[in-house]
Amino acid sequence: MNGHPQLEARGVTVRFGGLVAVDNVSAAFAAGELVGIIGPNGAGKTTFFNALSGVQQPTSGELFAQGRRLTGAQPHKFAAHGIARTFQTPRVFGALSVTANIDFGLQFAGLHRKSSWLLKDDASILNLIGLAAQAKLPAAAITPSQQRLLEIGMALATRPRLLLLDEVAAGLTEAEVDAMAQLIRRLRDELDLTVIWIEHAVTTLLRYVERVLVLHQGRKIADGTPAEVVRNAEVIEAYLGDEMMGDPA
Amino acid sequence: MLLDRRLLGRDVLVLFALAGWALAVPHYGSEFVVSMALTCLMYVALATSWTLFCGTTRYLSLATAAFFGIGAYVSALFIETWGWFGVIAGGAGVAALVAVLMGSAVLHLRGTYFAVLTFGMTELIRHAIAYWEKQVTGTVGRVLTVVPERDTVYLTVLAIALLSVAVSIVVRRTRFGLGLMGIGADEQRAQTLGVNTRLVKIGGFALTAAFAGAVGAAMSVRWTYIDPTTVFNPFIGFQTVLIALIGGVATLWGPLIAAVVFSLLAETLRLQAPQLYLMTLGLLLILSVLYLPEGLASLRWSTLRQWRDDTRAWWKALRAGKAGKSTRKAAGA
Repeated sequence: MNGHPQLEARGVTVRFGGLVAVDNVSAAFAAGELVGIIGPNGAGKTTFFNALSGVQQPTSGELFAQGRRLTGAQPHKFAAHGIARTFQTPRVFGALSVTANIDFGLQFAGLHRKSSWLLKDDASILNLIGLAAQAKLPAAAITPSQQRLLEIGMALATRPRLLLLDEVAAGLTEAEVDAMAQLIRRLRDELDLTVIWIEHAVTTLLRYVERVLVLHQGRKIADGTPAEVVRNAEVIEAYLGDEMMGDPA
Repeated sequence: MLLDRRLLGRDVLVLFALAGWALAVPHYGSEFVVSMALTCLMYVALATSWTLFCGTTRYLSLATAAFFGIGAYVSALFIETWGWFGVIAGGAGVAALVAVLMGSAVLHLRGTYFAVLTFGMTELIRHAIAYWEKQVTGTVGRVLTVVPERDTVYLTVLAIALLSVAVSIVVRRTRFGLGLMGIGADEQRAQTLGVNTRLVKIGGFALTAAFAGAVGAAMSVRWTYIDPTTVFNPFIGFQTVLIALIGGVATLWGPLIAAVVFSLLAETLRLQAPQLYLMTLGLLLILSVLYLPEGLASLRWSTLRQWRDDTRAWWKALRAGKAGKSTRKAAGA
């Protein structure tokens, strides 16, 4: 390792007209870290992810992958530097088979990247995510929770160093969430992947991650271990405010 | 690897069938038949190459006429110096170059904006050439004096048409084709999986343009006199798009068969009743968009059966509705 973090954001701001969705957020992610990002609705979590994966150009601030500047680059450059992501609503290629969806990443960003035996080919990736039985089905025909797994598989096919997961456990049953967390742990442990995981359900996430970033109204208000973060006064206030006034239910 | 082996066999068979059929025409056909076959081949080449980029990526380009016209002008200007094959290659090259420039400017736009801008640029090029001829060279149009034999033109257009089908078959099986497909399905997702979408789009657009340019260069010699209005005729672009849409943009042989059918229809109807032809084309487009959005190529027996059942159900509901109304009237009275 060259001592640089896998991914570093310096003062990233994303502005949509008058709205500041992400407000001067800085964070560095080291190899093999499993980091959660939490925050109330509209805190700017997904927008921050979009900036980290090149999908959304930051208004200001800088991005570095292993010390190399990626600010302003197209998303395919981020993928080429080992940054992969999933989308909140699965965006699989519905007309293609599950295998072909995996092959897509292997043919592009994953083509010239060093691969672990776990990501050797489409079959090994399907085994890893547990979709080997569905390999031949069209991606549109598998269940939504299987599509979430396929999203992860497509991202893994780019043979990344860092994986951005956007609400992969949303809408899953408790058993499925647990299986998903096991998978994510495994990816981190066996592939030495850096994993950054957004989840709206805070309690679920805090059980599995080792470090948490808390975003509130676009700003980073806390960054530490789950135990530290839940005792942070500003975090408690942000969440209490959300639960008492922001939540119509 | 990327597509089924069996499909490859079928595609190659289609290609051979087309070649054999077309090769026989000049030996047996009359002048009229050959000219009709030439139009067929021209639209096979235009629609197949259009589908290759625009069908797979869903970037609807109306600029075919621009590339066709550029090819025709290259041919008219340089045929005496470059020779026949020189102007075909030159027409393709210049058209591809223009497509790279045009694509860099407008390929970040999608949908209607892209379609309208490509159409606008076609008109811009047409008027620019008309202006240049009037102001700089002091001519209106060009007269072609050195014209190759009929069979040379026919075989060249046949070769271009076959090449466009062959290239489509090959591209569908390459990474480039996979990238085009990804752009059509979900451009942003494809980007995050590592596709350099800008490069792929510009490359695909240039490839389409090269074919249209080569066809334009070859076809220009059929007219002894060309001017911007003839060769930049937007109808060439529209007809290409209509053929591809009615044939089915996601398939290889849909546009191919539609090109043959429509060219035949065009040549026969245009002579007898030109308005009727355009009306037929318009009507077919509306019907295909409403009832067969994936084009003629998606037509199966089950589709026809479904239509029959739908019509029956609709008819039954209509009669039941009428009956209901009259009963209610009777009850009210």
